[in-house]
Amino acid sequence: FPALASLAKTYPQAASSVFATYNDLLHAQRWEDLTVIDLPECKRGALRGCRPNTKDNLFVVPCSMSETLSTSWYVTHALKALDEPDGIYLAISTEDSSIVYYRISRGFAKPPL
Amino acid sequence: MDSSSSTPDKIRLSVSNHQAHVWNVPDIARLRSEHRICGLLGGTLPHLAQQNVFLGVPLILMPEEVVLLVQNEVAVLVDDANAHDTPGPEEKQLWEDQRATMIQKQLVQKAKAKEDEGISPNNKSTSEAAIRKRQERELKKAAAAAAQKAKQESGDADLSVFNTEATSSGDPAVESGRETPSSKGPSQPYAITIPTSSNSVSWYHSDAHAFSTLDAARESGIWLYPSNEEERARCGVFRALWEKDYYLGNGIKFGGEYLVYPGDPLRYHSHFVATVHISPENPLRPMEIVAHGRLGTATKKAHLICTWDDKTSSVDILSIEWSGFG
Repeated sequence: FPALASLAKTYPQAASSVFATYNDLLHAQRWEDLTVIDLPECKRGALRGCRPNTKDNLFVVPCSMSETLSTSWYVTHALKALDEPDGIYLAISTEDSSIVYYRISRGFAKPPL
Repeated sequence: MDSSSSTPDKIRLSVSNHQAHVWNVPDIARLRSEHRICGLLGGTLPHLAQQNVFLGVPLILMPEEVVLLVQNEVAVLVDDANAHDTPGPEEKQLWEDQRATMIQKQLVQKAKAKEDEGISPNNKSTSEAAIRKRQERELKKAAAAAAQKAKQESGDADLSVFNTEATSSGDPAVESGRETPSSKGPSQPYAITIPTSSNSVSWYHSDAHAFSTLDAARESGIWLYPSNEEERARCGVFRALWEKDYYLGNGIKFGGEYLVYPGDPLRYHSHFVATVHISPENPLRPMEIVAHGRLGTATKKAHLICTWDDKTSSVDILSIEWSGFG
């Protein structure tokens, strides 16, 4: 994992969640065109790719269940750094390797039907 | 006063122990239809007192709703306790007279209603058949008593007490004449109505104890909200959501501060559940995101994280939804 290796060295605290998320998206979720983005403002790497059989680029920011975040972390840092996409997916990884994904977006999202 | 402009009167919010109540029903309707403020009814209905599914006045408002209404100059805060002055002797007399009149009216009405139904005030039927039957009964009684008396005179004299009673009621002609109306004196029950609102009471002066700004109310000590950063954050978020034309309700049933409705809550389910964060640096744990996101999706709502920035007095809104995969 050359792309991940360099980021793991730069941001060791986030290394495990980035690694786990990368593997999950690539193999379990079968995302396509998966690339790694450096996100210094959030002190970690982020991921960009497409869900199987779709063309939209989605952004995933990994984090660990034990971390503490804040709304400024999303708004000021993550969203800005990724150039204001419609929404970002927060990938929350746990110690037993489970990963859950939640979409965070600005404003009012349409509730599910 | 300019008579051409018809600005409606400001709504009076009766403040008691730092809680605001609305007692006037047209005002409650105005708050809902004109200002999208629903509140919660908290009073017992006198005719359905043993349940609490249906409640009546007063309407109880959330502190954030009160702050919004006063800031928008739609309502004033009334120091209810002090607005009730001590009545003078003339006012007291007037009150007593009015009450006595009401009682008299009730008694007269009751008597008239009974007459119409054919029942005498002594609750005896005045129909012809009933009168005839009564007379027959009396004659029988008299005859039995006379026979008893004849027997008694040859025997015990103590029972004469009972005989005299029986014979004295023997005359049927007198019987119906004895039924005199008894509307003098309190033999009939009457109801006393306690008015719901104090507006009809002559010693209640709400205008002299009304505060039209939050600062004035705070100075007098009757309304202190918001008093810290958290309360300011809640007011700010409430206003931000309200200004986007939503109706807001209490969010405890869905794990948030407010429920956000696209229209009147009687017509719509809420689309969003809102949580208030008091500052952008407020710690947010991923577990909260999982909990809010999952609950929102399961209940067909989206969760909103509303962050108040005290420095810029602005609100930032983020939506949380389950991704659908993972």
